[in-house]
Parts: sequence; C-alpha cells; structure tokens
Amino acid sequence: MEYIRKKIGLESYTVRSIPKSVLITNTEGKTVIDDTNPKYFYGKIPNYIVDSNGNYILDSLGQKIKNTVDVSLFLTQDVDDMGIFSDKTFTPSNTTLPAPPPNFNSFTYGRLAGAPLNFYLTGENTLSGNTDDGYLNQVRSYRLDVNGNPIYVPFLNTSDNSKKVFNGVISEDINKTIYSIGSNPIEVSDYQQNNISSINSGIEFITYKNEYVRSVDEYGKNLSFFKTNFKSNSGGWNINNTSLNAIIKKEEYLGIVFKPEVNSVVFINRGVADIFERHAILSELKTTNDIDTNRGGFVRV
Amino acid sequence: MATGNYGTIRPADVSVDDVEILYSYTPSRELVSSVDLLNLDPSEVLIPTNSPNDVNEILGGLYTLKLPTAVFGSKGFYSIIIRPKQIRTTIQDCGVLIDNQDVKGLAFDINQIPTELQSRFENGNLVGYRIEYLKENTGTGQNKIQNLFRIITSNNRALPITQNQGNDNASQAYTFNDNSTTVFCTLTPSSAPSVKPNAVPFIGNPQQGVIITNTFFNPIMLEIEMVEYDDETLAYALYSNQSKSLEDGIYTIYNFGNQIYKQYNLYEVKDQFTGKPLYEVREQKFTIDPTKDFDDVTDF
Repeated sequence: MEYIRKKIGLESYTVRSIPKSVLITNTEGKTVIDDTNPKYFYGKIPNYIVDSNGNYILDSLGQKIKNTVDVSLFLTQDVDDMGIFSDKTFTPSNTTLPAPPPNFNSFTYGRLAGAPLNFYLTGENTLSGNTDDGYLNQVRSYRLDVNGNPIYVPFLNTSDNSKKVFNGVISEDINKTIYSIGSNPIEVSDYQQNNISSINSGIEFITYKNEYVRSVDEYGKNLSFFKTNFKSNSGGWNINNTSLNAIIKKEEYLGIVFKPEVNSVVFINRGVADIFERHAILSELKTTNDIDTNRGGFVRV
Repeated sequence: MATGNYGTIRPADVSVDDVEILYSYTPSRELVSSVDLLNLDPSEVLIPTNSPNDVNEILGGLYTLKLPTAVFGSKGFYSIIIRPKQIRTTIQDCGVLIDNQDVKGLAFDINQIPTELQSRFENGNLVGYRIEYLKENTGTGQNKIQNLFRIITSNNRALPITQNQGNDNASQAYTFNDNSTTVFCTLTPSSAPSVKPNAVPFIGNPQQGVIITNTFFNPIMLEIEMVEYDDETLAYALYSNQSKSLEDGIYTIYNFGNQIYKQYNLYEVKDQFTGKPLYEVREQKFTIDPTKDFDDVTDF
C-alpha cells in the first residue's frame, strides 16, 4: 500500500472578508461587526463556498457548492498475465435478452446470461489499402496471348476447392484487372447473374496495368510491381470467428500464455517404474543427441 | 510451451463504484486512543479526471479527492484509506466441475449479493478478484483468517448435478448453466504443489464467510495534516501590508489580498506608582476591528 503524507494549511479555506453589510454602529457610535449576521463568516471555514459579500456561490443548478479540500491522487494497478484459459460448453439461458443493455461491453458485462452471440458481433468492417500484385498470378488462366502475356478470363475459378472458394477475375479492361481471392462461389455466381450488386466475401484486388510502383526490399534490392489496391468487407467479429464459451482456468496453465506443444512423436507413459525402466530408457537412445533430449535431459552422462 | 507472460503497472481507471474510502481523525500525534474509522461516500468525494481530448473519456490514474471542510476543517491529522470495494458473502458450496474433476472451486449465490453489486458476479467478471476468509467459529478473537487469500481465476453460472459413483454414493459436481443463480469460481492456488502432492491448498468451506475484493487499483493511504500556519501565512507576517493605529494601538496584519489576517493590541505596562514602563505588549485581538480595513486606512 502506498503511503502519502500531505500538509495543508487551513488558512486557504478561512474567510477573511468582512462585508459592509455586517457592519453596524453600536451605542457608543463605533462601527463594529454584527456577528449574528448570517453573512458574517470572518475567521470561519464555511461548509459551502461564499463570496466576498458573504453570499453563497451557487452552481448552474442553483445549488450551494461544497467547500472542499482538494487533493490530487494518482492511482495505479499492478497487472500480471495469468495465462491461457480453457473453453467449456455451457447451457444457455432459457430467456434470451431482446436487446443488449445500454453501452453493452463484453468486458464489463462478461458473458451475460441470456445474451445471444449476436450481441458480441460487430458490423461488417471495410478494410482497404495498397499492396503488390502477388495475387495476380493466382487468377490467370493457363492461356497466353500473342505477346506471351497471360490471359485473364472473368469468373474463371482458379481455386483448388472451387465448390467452396472462388479465386478469380471479376472484370478486366485495358487499364486494370479486378479479381477476388477467397470469395464465396455462390455469391460470385449471383453477382455474375446480376442478382446482387457487389461481392462482400473474400478480398477484392484491383491491379492497374499501366502504373508501376518501385520499392526496395529488406536486402536493398530494387523491386517493381503493378500498383494494386485491396478491399475487404468481411472484417470485424462475425459468426465465422466468434463463439460463446464458458471459460475456466486450469491451474496447470497458470502463467502459460501459449498452449503446450508436445514435440515427441511417440510418448510412452510407463506408469510405475520397474526394474527394466532404466534399460528401457537406454534402448530408446539412437543417437548422441538423444542423450540430451530424451525425457528432457533425464539421462545424463 | 512458452511462459513469457507479462506484467505491468498501469494508471488505474477504476469506477468510483468500485472504491471504498475510510478515514480517521486525531487532533495530535500525542493522543493515545483507539482509532475510529468512518466511511466516506466515494461518489461524493472522489472525482476522476477526464482526458483533455474527450470529456467522456477517463484519463486514467489521476483522481481528485474533494474532502468536505465540514468534516476535514479541523487542525490535526486525518488518515484516509482508499481501497478497492469489498463484497461480503458466504460460500454456498465447494466442489468440482462435472467433467474436470481436478478443477476445484467455490459456489456463490447471486441472490445473496446486494443488487447493485450482482453484475460483478456475471460470467467472467470476477476474474482477478481476491477472496479473503472469515473464521467459521467467530466466538472470540480475530474474526478474519489473517495472511490468507486466494485469487479468482474464472467464474460462470453453474448448476449442481449429482454424478453416480458406481455404488450407493453419489457426489455433487457442477456444470455450467446460464439459467442458474449459482456462480462457480475457480481460484488459485487450488491444486497441490508438485513437491507436496498431498497438501491441497485451502480454498474455503461451505457456509464460510468471505470478503471478495476487486484488484482494479492498488490501495493507498494518505495522512493529511491540517495546519493553521503554512509558508504562505508566515509570509504575511514578513512581507504583507501592515498598519499600526496610533490612536488606539491596534496593529493589523493583512494577507496578500489586503484582507485583515490578524489584529493585535499594542500597549505598555507601566509601574502604577512610578509610571516607569515595564513591558511593551503585543496581544492578539480576537474581536476584529473592521474600521482597520486596509483600503479605508490608506484612503486619504
């Protein structure tokens, strides 16, 4: 616990003004203070802020403002990563909330009982930028024109899994080639038949045939490629990358931030060691490196 | 496997709803008596600072403690403890998960939690909270088990179900169910260390009282010494305007705003028989003479 010491003078909060309205003339003809006057605060620390005339200062709502001793603090939080969690299935609530609570936040509300998955999804997010023309090769046909350049055939699916993924050209003219990588083939088909106006799945690339971009790679070698823009409409959290699970913390994963990876091809759990244990271990050693690596250095020379 | 976990210290952006403030007062350090701690309402005295770029965005770290002079207006020592809010409840049950028998935890009843704090017990919201334990037999002595705490590592609404053990015995275990008002919390440490396989850490017993505390910020303690005189008031005596009324011997010291700060009567004490001056006296005057206003005195 941090310990802070401060010394604060009360004089800063003590009223030293004497309004003319609290002055009276006594029987001897002398000007004195009427200390029964409610506007007389000299030498006192009032509970509410007063002005030099002894009137309470009001806020915008007409309320008296509390007289306070203000101290600035800096609060900190020590944070340690406790490592990975484990997913568990759960029985959802029988009552589904019709709408998220105001300012719904998955952290402050947690996995709110009755909150369906769509409370946690974000709307479609458009991502765009510039890149090189590396994907252009993936969408060309195997045919070449008279000059030996590849021919790009619109809506020719060059994907290895054409039933599920569309990689191919959408349109082409003398200035640019528009192509899509990783799109939904059904959506592309609908677009081709003018049923929909745009393709929202996959990444759309536009490579400009007459515009070059010059660059230098990490080894200082000059690079040149066609100017290419990309656009994606399927970013954000959606049903493809989000699921609701109860999460628990397994003690053995405390402080472990990645899932354990087992490199052994074969792992034999011997259980209770018997008299053949040592011989059995030695029989597994085929090379000198095995001496170091077998059982995490169990065998030592 | 990587164990490159991180830790950091960050400016806290805790809500004042998750803060508790206690204070005590003593007029001097010499006073020997027990310390009575009183509560302050954090929502009235602790004001977070907003970002200069967005008035609706908390800056983080910087807070202003506005101590009302009605309480903090006396000369003396005020000890103020600002700590994370505590939630007191009892353990409903202790158990394991139905298909993870090695994952032990505590069950709490959400309905036993004050309504305004129940949202803290929603799934996943208690992660990082600290649990401290009260003694089960609270007849005499200290009620709290000292130097013992556990950290909550996960919490989910859960339902107890029985599992058949293959004989007449049936044990109870928990399965996650959002329709339940019971919350199952896993804690650390809750499993035996590898060097002591039989030493299963204590995580609590059913019906035992516990104190659940958030860890959103590190608690701090302020000792504020309210003093009558500081550098500024001493400077009044040295450098500010003063007047000495020759007619009635009133000596007035003004503050830097030319308001009357102190007044004194100046007089001589003489021998009543010989008239020989014995003392020159400066005696503080507690009834202020308002006619010695600096502007009036110097208005000539």
